[in-house]
Amino acid sequence: MADKKKKKRLSKVFDYLKYEDPFAKGVSFCAGCPLERLVRFVPQVMGNDIVITGTPSCSAPVLLGQNGKSWHKLSYYGTLMTGAASNATGLARYYKRAGIDGTVVCFNGDGTAADIGFGNLSGAAERNEPFVYICYDNEGYMNTGIQKSSTTPFGAKTTTTPVGSNERGKNLRRKNLGLLLAMHKIPYAATATLSNLEDFAKKLLKAKEISKKGFCFLHIFSPCPTGWGMPTDTGIEVCRKAVQTNYFPLWEAENGKFSFTKEVKKPKPIKEYVKLVKKFSHLTEEEIEVLQKDVDYEYAVLKQLSLLDQECPLPD
Amino acid sequence: MNMNSEKSELKVITGNGAAAISAVLCRPDVVAAYPITPQTEIIEKLSHYHATGRLDAEMVTVDGENSAMNTVTAASAAGARVFTATSSWGLVFMYDAVLAASGARAPVVMVNVNRETPGIIAVSAGQQDMISIRDCGWIFLIAEDSQEILDLVIMAYRLAEDYDIQVPVMVHYDGFYLSYMAERVEVPSQKSVDDFLAVLKTQPERTKLVPGQKLGCGAHGILEGYVELRHKHCAAMERAKDKFEEISLDFEKQFNRSYGGQIEEYRLDDAEIVLVASGSMCGTIKTVIDEQREKGLKIGLLRIRMFRPFPSEKIIKALKGKKCAGVVDRSICFGFKPGPMCVELKSFSRELGDLKILSFIDGIANTDITKINVEKMISMTIAGAKGENVPEVTWISYDKDLKEC
Repeated sequence: MADKKKKKRLSKVFDYLKYEDPFAKGVSFCAGCPLERLVRFVPQVMGNDIVITGTPSCSAPVLLGQNGKSWHKLSYYGTLMTGAASNATGLARYYKRAGIDGTVVCFNGDGTAADIGFGNLSGAAERNEPFVYICYDNEGYMNTGIQKSSTTPFGAKTTTTPVGSNERGKNLRRKNLGLLLAMHKIPYAATATLSNLEDFAKKLLKAKEISKKGFCFLHIFSPCPTGWGMPTDTGIEVCRKAVQTNYFPLWEAENGKFSFTKEVKKPKPIKEYVKLVKKFSHLTEEEIEVLQKDVDYEYAVLKQLSLLDQECPLPD
Repeated sequence: MNMNSEKSELKVITGNGAAAISAVLCRPDVVAAYPITPQTEIIEKLSHYHATGRLDAEMVTVDGENSAMNTVTAASAAGARVFTATSSWGLVFMYDAVLAASGARAPVVMVNVNRETPGIIAVSAGQQDMISIRDCGWIFLIAEDSQEILDLVIMAYRLAEDYDIQVPVMVHYDGFYLSYMAERVEVPSQKSVDDFLAVLKTQPERTKLVPGQKLGCGAHGILEGYVELRHKHCAAMERAKDKFEEISLDFEKQFNRSYGGQIEEYRLDDAEIVLVASGSMCGTIKTVIDEQREKGLKIGLLRIRMFRPFPSEKIIKALKGKKCAGVVDRSICFGFKPGPMCVELKSFSRELGDLKILSFIDGIANTDITKINVEKMISMTIAGAKGENVPEVTWISYDKDLKEC
């Protein structure tokens, strides 16, 4: 009986995988990195007629190819971290003008999206550029060897926020990238993660459709086994726990109208999430409480936004 | 601007106005706009032409110069004809993207209105912005007046998008002096510009990034791959020299205006002493040369129109057998005493034989290069030709030795 139930649940996800997986069977991500599932999932759901643009990052070795060889069969445009969204703008605008079909997917980590490329991401959102921006957030500069970014959470240990006699990991809070982008009143902003693939697939399809007219932003929670200190088989579990603790709530905002796509009835304490990852292992009860308050605050803001029942679409 | 006119029109417009009209005449697909003094008028004009239907393009009012260059580079990689303009700090702020554009061999055309770059006090003329990025792999063209600005932008598209070249082109002109000064400009008809650029349509199509076509741009190029790409880029830069001569001749046939090719040789044939210069100062220099010629002095001007690739062969040919050349730089080559163009010229001193080379630094930070200044340069060059003891480097408007400061 239990087996039957499980199969049924899985089949729903597989219904969304309508297109070919354009990647080679083995790709060069770190062992257990959910990013592999992520890069395969996007074209499997959105189709292969996309152009992916991306920057130097964890995804770059696989998306850009290595030694003149490619890992995949997609069109790809490699660019610099400073101007990722502007490059996507150039592509999308010309395709629009020339009547060329196909979705431009700007695919970057949190370093590009929340830090060095935040200005031009905000610019593209303000101009309502017709493309999909996907930020896979692994909460730091993982490709360069685990440094702090502005989405690194409070308390997390990285190589630039180490734990020592004077420091206790990151002593600042994370930037809520998804909310910031939604506040640009873009047609579509959403969060997603790999433990809730059906939810993710629906959001990808929505973004594909809406991006024909305007800017779509997807904020994807993507744990980093190497950088966070997790066993390689726990990636999806960590995603699930992040949702269940409201550490990473799943929501969407269409034209500024917010709604939760997965309401967590009884959120688990952040303690249960924190204990899964080594980067928090030094935290005291009081420090974990700071993180809990941060999570509670962000959730409360989202909750209020979801109750507003107002939208702010741009006229056609 | 009457876009439907079959004939050219005479207008009194600023250098910026000429650049904007020229861009419109070249029918770009994607234009990125971001303001900076003294370039702002260009993007204002383009926005106006766009709003009133004269410019049919995707106008992207970007969030900074870095975005401007990234936007046009990617659009160019997708197949678009693109245009943007900048100056000074704007050029510096887009530097990474400027390098990426040339690395991608994207045929971007950009106008850079030359301006100084020492801190925020830099709202003044000078070529330091151009000099600071001279090794970025772009083709650099430098205009002398508004008419040439208009003409060079048109020629820039022929050069950048040529199938054998595919290297981005930057058209430079002096901020403040040319950007804001209104003068007589002949605006060619749309048809004549269309005809001039039509050659590009007869060439093979360049590689374009299209969705679903299994093409990677900006991929990792390491070891042999990287060396090969760099070597091909350098070869294209070399080809650009002759190509520009060819395009200049075509331009003359179509529009009846000639400036020379990589260099302009002004009264150079029988000249014994020569000034080497670029940009708007050349108007003043030519006037002084005309006056001095009346007095029987054998003097000429070599004007650098193409600064990258450096027109070494043309310069060597033009200067061979001359007695003394004074190179006027509107910028500084930090760590070297002579100005940047002079330093570059000196790398060919063996081929130039007995030519004595002097460096004059003048006109930086809006210092006017007056007729008096040019006369001073000429008299020093004459003294140099006579073998008199003349300083190797002279800051014309700041008469101090570097050792004194």
